[in-house]
Amino acid sequence: MTKPPSVPIRMAAIGMDQRQRNALRMLFSTKCGNRYVLMEEDSSEICILDLDAFGGERLWEEFRERHPQRPLILVSLRAREASDDFTLFVQKPIPVDRLITAIEHQRRHLSAKNEDVAHLPPLDIQPPLAEQAGQPEIQQPRKQHATRKAASLMSESMERAFVGTSPNIDPKDPEQLAKIYYNPEHYLQGHLQQALNLAVRHNKDIAVEGPWPAIHLFYESRKIRVSAKERQLRPYCTIPDATLEVPLRFLDQEKNSADGAREYSIAAFHWQLALWASRGRLPIGTDLSQPIYLRRWPNFTRLVVTPYALAIAALWAEQPRSLVDTAQTLNIPQRYVFAFYSAAKAIQLAGETRRAVDTLLAPSAVEKSKHHGLLGRLLGRLRGDKEQT
Amino acid sequence: MSDYKIIFSGPVGVGKTTAIGAISDVEPVTTDEQATDMARTQKPGTTVAMDYGMIKLGERERIHLYGTPGQERFDFMWEILTQGGIGLILLVSNNRPDPFHDMHFFLDTFKAFIGNSKVVIGVTQMDLADKPRIEDYHLQLEDSGVKIPIFEVDARMKNDVSLLVEALLYSLDPGLEG
Repeated sequence: MTKPPSVPIRMAAIGMDQRQRNALRMLFSTKCGNRYVLMEEDSSEICILDLDAFGGERLWEEFRERHPQRPLILVSLRAREASDDFTLFVQKPIPVDRLITAIEHQRRHLSAKNEDVAHLPPLDIQPPLAEQAGQPEIQQPRKQHATRKAASLMSESMERAFVGTSPNIDPKDPEQLAKIYYNPEHYLQGHLQQALNLAVRHNKDIAVEGPWPAIHLFYESRKIRVSAKERQLRPYCTIPDATLEVPLRFLDQEKNSADGAREYSIAAFHWQLALWASRGRLPIGTDLSQPIYLRRWPNFTRLVVTPYALAIAALWAEQPRSLVDTAQTLNIPQRYVFAFYSAAKAIQLAGETRRAVDTLLAPSAVEKSKHHGLLGRLLGRLRGDKEQT
Repeated sequence: MSDYKIIFSGPVGVGKTTAIGAISDVEPVTTDEQATDMARTQKPGTTVAMDYGMIKLGERERIHLYGTPGQERFDFMWEILTQGGIGLILLVSNNRPDPFHDMHFFLDTFKAFIGNSKVVIGVTQMDLADKPRIEDYHLQLEDSGVKIPIFEVDARMKNDVSLLVEALLYSLDPGLEG
């Protein structure tokens, strides 16, 4: 780390909303020891310009007209070439260390401005080669026993049913990408969603009729009754049928009690249907690079808990992260993240972030607790006990 | 020998003693006495000092499980019990008159401890009273800026209590390998 200059560098953020500015302010104070301070453009020495802002290209052109030689850091989700000696490009989400490197380079640029700019050393702030090629950074996989330990809470056949067996994909490869999506509307999951929408609209109980065993949705009590065992229901949940017309009927009062039926909470049933349909895939249209927010923790004691679900929830509860980044950070196969997201999205607990601030900075690294080893051993102990019960 | 603590807290009759018993390796030590005040209406005996259980991790490590007394007149004990604790498990009964007040009261009481560690909330006795729902508890905490795990829990079920503890551990360190 370079020695902090006695006077903070005056920075400006152009094309950024209040939330993005606040995020930068917080970053400068918490991670950079107040070596940089955010000010208005007129008083600034170095500017950061978000090309993804409305009219970003024009903002850039106009900025250069106003300040032909002022050091500028361009940021965007799409890779760009910087067009002059005074401009650097950093791709969003911005890793904190790359932003600091870029600011420090521009700071030296400032000092050298009246000397010989050509003497500045070349700057490498591009992502590692593996990332540029769309390959995840190579990480040592988790120890095999750890993976199996977590997964062993579910039997292997259950895990196959809920999470599938898909290998990791390269998000930049369209062929691989096409394999990870499914359309929930073509599954029983989608028909249940329609029934729920109808129940909410009319505040009534609904029968979801089709070739499957009778499914009755009771809106007021948030319950579902199914007149079959799970193994009888599952085949209808895993096979897509885009042509099937499913009649939804308001339920008569007298049909509200079904003897021998299995009862679920609506959320638990919907969650399970989404896992069966997804099998480690994602709802069509999901953007792999967009950070995912978790509205709140799922009520795990009453849901099917897939391997690593608690770790993913804990991570997203701290900060939105993209699906690919989540798998890399936790060093787990992507299918576990995709399965969890599909289920959480089905019950509206998770979704893609839409705010500009959520893609500005790369999520911070996960800090290990000072009791990391102890907590891991306790976790292993609790899970070991579960296997025996 | 290394010793660490997990604290179980919550009002009278929420199932702290039962929850500790569900995951303890040793027969829980309880200090129940005949209740003398409002606790009497909740259950015949209540914890006046603390509950104690333990999870052994090999020969050299112990996780001590301490249950705080539920009655507010023993609140002088609460701060002492939390010293050196790694996290808080707050149990709230859905069958008490104002479970939201209970939740806010205990979160506020343990604010300093939670600030240095993490908290998870287990809502018990939802079989006796199904409202408020779990999402209502989350709504109560929406403005707090933190997303606390809140699970429906049957304190008698080892699996439920265990999942609550697991959520606490992952909240403390999402990168754990179990």
